[in-house]
Amino acid sequence: MHFNLSEERKMLKESCDRLLNDHYTQYKNHHEVSSSETGFNKKFWEECSEIGMLSALISPNFNGLGGTGEDIMIVFELIGKHLVVEPFLSSGILSITSLTNSKDIETSVLDEISSASKIYAFGHSEVDTRYDETYIKTKANYKNDAVFLTGQKSFVLNGDYADKIICTARFSGNDFDQNGFGLYEIDKTHCDIRSYNTIDGYRAAELKFSEIPAKELCKNSDAYNALLETLYAGAFALSAESIGAMEVCFNMTLEYLKTREQFGKAIGSFQALQHRMVDIMIEIEQAKSAVMLASGTYEADKNTKYKNISAAKNLVGRAGKLVAEECIQLHGGIAMTWEYNLHNYAKRLVMIDHLMGDSDHHLEKFKLYSNY
Amino acid sequence: MDFNFTQDENDFRQEIKDWLSKNLSQRISNKVKKFQRLDKNDYEEFMKALSAKGWLAVNWPKEHGGTGWSNTQKHIFEEEIVKAGAPRVVPFGLNMLGPVLMEFGNEEQKKYYLPRILNCDDWWAQGYSEPGSGSDLASLKTRAVDHGDHYIVNGQKTWTTLGQFANKIFCLVKTDTDCKPQNGISFLLIDIDSPGIEVRPIITLDGEHEVNEVWLKDVKVPKENLLGEENKGWTYAKYLLTHERTGIAGVPNSKSAINHLKVIANKTYKNGKPLIQDPLFSSQIAELEIDLKAMEIFNLRAISSAESGKAPVMESSLLKIKGSIIRQKTSDLLRKAIGPQALPYISEQFDEGWNQETIGPEYAGPLAKQYFIYRKISIYGGSNEIQKNIVAKSEFRM
Repeated sequence: MHFNLSEERKMLKESCDRLLNDHYTQYKNHHEVSSSETGFNKKFWEECSEIGMLSALISPNFNGLGGTGEDIMIVFELIGKHLVVEPFLSSGILSITSLTNSKDIETSVLDEISSASKIYAFGHSEVDTRYDETYIKTKANYKNDAVFLTGQKSFVLNGDYADKIICTARFSGNDFDQNGFGLYEIDKTHCDIRSYNTIDGYRAAELKFSEIPAKELCKNSDAYNALLETLYAGAFALSAESIGAMEVCFNMTLEYLKTREQFGKAIGSFQALQHRMVDIMIEIEQAKSAVMLASGTYEADKNTKYKNISAAKNLVGRAGKLVAEECIQLHGGIAMTWEYNLHNYAKRLVMIDHLMGDSDHHLEKFKLYSNY
Repeated sequence: MDFNFTQDENDFRQEIKDWLSKNLSQRISNKVKKFQRLDKNDYEEFMKALSAKGWLAVNWPKEHGGTGWSNTQKHIFEEEIVKAGAPRVVPFGLNMLGPVLMEFGNEEQKKYYLPRILNCDDWWAQGYSEPGSGSDLASLKTRAVDHGDHYIVNGQKTWTTLGQFANKIFCLVKTDTDCKPQNGISFLLIDIDSPGIEVRPIITLDGEHEVNEVWLKDVKVPKENLLGEENKGWTYAKYLLTHERTGIAGVPNSKSAINHLKVIANKTYKNGKPLIQDPLFSSQIAELEIDLKAMEIFNLRAISSAESGKAPVMESSLLKIKGSIIRQKTSDLLRKAIGPQALPYISEQFDEGWNQETIGPEYAGPLAKQYFIYRKISIYGGSNEIQKNIVAKSEFRM
């Protein structure tokens, strides 16, 4: 038993960290990137691809160089550390997982993703379906050999600038059935797109479409399995991302406590504040441990895998909120300003709990997979 | 990263299990599982069996008769003895005094005392806390006055766990009062049978007698019973407090407590359904289980970094805090799980051989009592607030 990274992965981590750091220090903050015309920096995205950050998310079975829990954890901790707005989650984890779990997928499709030549987005949530896994109202209509989709997909991350959208749609059964839906690929040029920035400074879109041509990726139980894999891969990646953001919040706050003076001394000398810092520290270590466990069982049987991811996402949801709230409080007024960078991390931490199932959702799933 | 134990470690676990199944008596493990009162013989029976096997001194190096086990092996051993319902290995001689003797004791002391600890000839008690010195240990008042070849000791120690069974006590005493409190402390090894010593029970809030007051009135202690140097006792005391604390989180104890909680929540009904199916209650168990699983990994991370030579000082403090919170929360849910069945308190139920009818299920009897006594976990061994001070000082440097 050991918890160290292999030399190879240490190198991956270091080179990615350097690239992300160099790139993002050019900007005032990540809003500058996501508010730009394109919503992301294409050149930088290509650089990420060149150093293997995207192949690290793809298994060798599909021509990638990684794809294990450990690889995903390393990459997403860094995404969280630098508040990266480029589509690592949408075109990376979510699209890669749904594609590799679909039937008869050509590796060339994944090569397009890993080489940054095509950007994918993943649309599952609808405006009022919350975190329900199989609540799908978008309709798939099979006519002769073709299929056409009608409906609306919401909160589609990077959905405005993606070239292709993978989405869920139902062709039979009621809105909640585990059967009767499929995963489809659609072209964004056929969609009515409303693009916006999220509260935490990322880019998302509402997509509306009516009887547009689609390509079936999988359906029925295959689609259900692919969807679960995708949602859990996303929940896992976000959990790791949260760790990176929590650590930044912690370090910023510690630094501030040492330098900010009141009553003639550094406020960090006050025990009331020191003790709250230790409380945060404990929860960050706990969250890190839960994410490590989830990474270690990412290749295990589905029950174990999902159970540990739900545990991690639940714990990260609780810890992230604690860290966000406490770090703002420990800073005081300065943390309420747009100017001071802490709010960006605090917002990301809280909003991670609004993506791919919140801590309540994952507590229920944890109970389900633990046979309560 | 690799989360798996090695084949050797798994074989080791099996060896421990097999040995326990043959050598831990049913009588004792039943008492432990029913939270019945253990007497001196119960503890000694198990410890002597371990000693005969060579497994008593898990934290000692081989040269002194210890196991020389790795931290991972110790962790496995700890897990298995808790799972089997063994009484705890009384730590005062083995884990507290032993390492200090090895590091700071003279040859004669080592030769005399270490084998006696190993053979269970001596039962050591810990004489640290005083009525006026809890978290602020260095403020202790017990005085040892130099009388040539011996000291005369006067004062009072408290919270002396299982002192009623002890024949020896190691005490922190003041030998110099004209300096910074930490610099005037010495470490004495004292016979409890010495004239002038009186051990008085303290009955704790659960109605039990586990801790004691030790009164010392003009107690004559020969100089050869001074450990290390005079006035260096604080260094030894601190060494003792930071030594071997990887078990501090109490992971195995919490694991079996949560299993117990789930069993009870399956047997207890609410609205005609097992309590474990009640969304309110089961969510509390689940959250606790998630926290415990995470802490188990955190603990293993600390163990594995200790294995590579880094003293897990900060981790120990964090684990002590989180571990105590989890154990207390589990005992809280156990108490809540049984509803009004928590009310009856039949003290005789906790005596060996009691065989009358219980009120409600047998498992209900000790749960409220345990809840109250477990409040101690966040107080003893350096309260959680003291642990936070330690972390702030060592990690935040402020």
